[in-house]
Amino acid sequence: MTISDETLMAYADGELDAATRASIEAAMQEDPEVAKRVARHRALREAMRGAFSAVLEEPVPERLIAAARGQSTAPKGAVVELAFAREAARRKPSLGVRWQPAAMAASLLLGVGLGFLAWQSRSGLIQSGPGGELVAKAALAEVLSTQLSGDRAPALAMAHLSFRAKSGGYCRTFSLTGTDASSGLACREGNDWKIKAWAESPRDAANSGNFRTAASEDSPAVRAAVEASIDGEPLDHAGEIAARQAGWAAAAKR
Amino acid sequence: MSTNESVQNIQEQIVALLPRLRRFARNLVRNPHDADDVVQIAVERALLRLDQWRRDARLDSWLFKIVRNAWIDEVRARGRRAKIFMLEEAGEQIGESSMEREIDRWSAETALIRLPEDQRLAVSLVLVEGLSYKDAAEVLEVPLGTLTSRLARGREALQAMLRLPEGESS
Repeated sequence: MTISDETLMAYADGELDAATRASIEAAMQEDPEVAKRVARHRALREAMRGAFSAVLEEPVPERLIAAARGQSTAPKGAVVELAFAREAARRKPSLGVRWQPAAMAASLLLGVGLGFLAWQSRSGLIQSGPGGELVAKAALAEVLSTQLSGDRAPALAMAHLSFRAKSGGYCRTFSLTGTDASSGLACREGNDWKIKAWAESPRDAANSGNFRTAASEDSPAVRAAVEASIDGEPLDHAGEIAARQAGWAAAAKR
Repeated sequence: MSTNESVQNIQEQIVALLPRLRRFARNLVRNPHDADDVVQIAVERALLRLDQWRRDARLDSWLFKIVRNAWIDEVRARGRRAKIFMLEEAGEQIGESSMEREIDRWSAETALIRLPEDQRLAVSLVLVEGLSYKDAAEVLEVPLGTLTSRLARGREALQAMLRLPEGESS
């Protein structure tokens, strides 16, 4: 009798009815090869059992527990939203639902937290330029100029995405880690990275003092700003390397 | 649900299942923060649809299904972001290939990650989460035969990658 591998797999997984199970067990007694195949399935089962189990030992983030208990978390913090999203909301209202985050963010503009702005000058990563515009400094400027998107250097900042803006220059989204985690959009103008949009990351209510790792994702406001300014598609890996080599200088318009 | 009390009871059951939902989500989304986002979206949806949960169905498999659907919706909604993921993954693969030469056997996790998505989910639900074939097929919304064939192919690929001791037989 030839027993299909799927049947033996189902046997190892405890999926067979008693009669079939008995016939497999008989076959295993008779034929060491069958027994060996079953052992193989069992060994794999055993090997996979612990996969990703480290997650089970981690503390569950408060925001998930709150969500499961139906407690609204209202996770978004202060949103700093500059010219891009405002302009986007004004210029392209027809794109409908996609633009809601931008409109929402724009409506929060007046609520920009003073503490947030105080923090940015304290950390020195973002400073006001002569014209009142915000400019990336120090480690943030360094990351924007040198790191490729997704590089997980042990830095305070990480770049996510690069693209060419309709204005011709290069822009990049980034996130900052720490107790004031945030994500933003910066565009290369001259030798500076000017901050065009910026949003504080969601904060776990119960862990408000804890260090947060860089959000791997740009906030809706930042994404909306990207959508508003992007020309074509984001740069791929090779495109980023080329742009970096060129010092992120705006190339001639195609 | 008939009373507030029973809703609360289910909510606590969901809280207890969060670690496993997080584990499952990491099979879908490799970045832990994004995986948790998917879990949060799913849990919020589940609470809104508690009346759709059939009491004879397992709560965990019902939730796995919502996690999976939340993930699919997120991926669709963020076409642009999918590209970012691809860039990240491409980068990681470049980084890992040099490491692969050094380790003789891949861990269960690195092997699982390399499976095609269909097979990865089948393996994850049955072998990691311990669901029956029937429940796993329901989570993935495929016929039982499809589930078993994905599982069989996934196991075969894992077997080859993990080089388990019994792997010589044909």
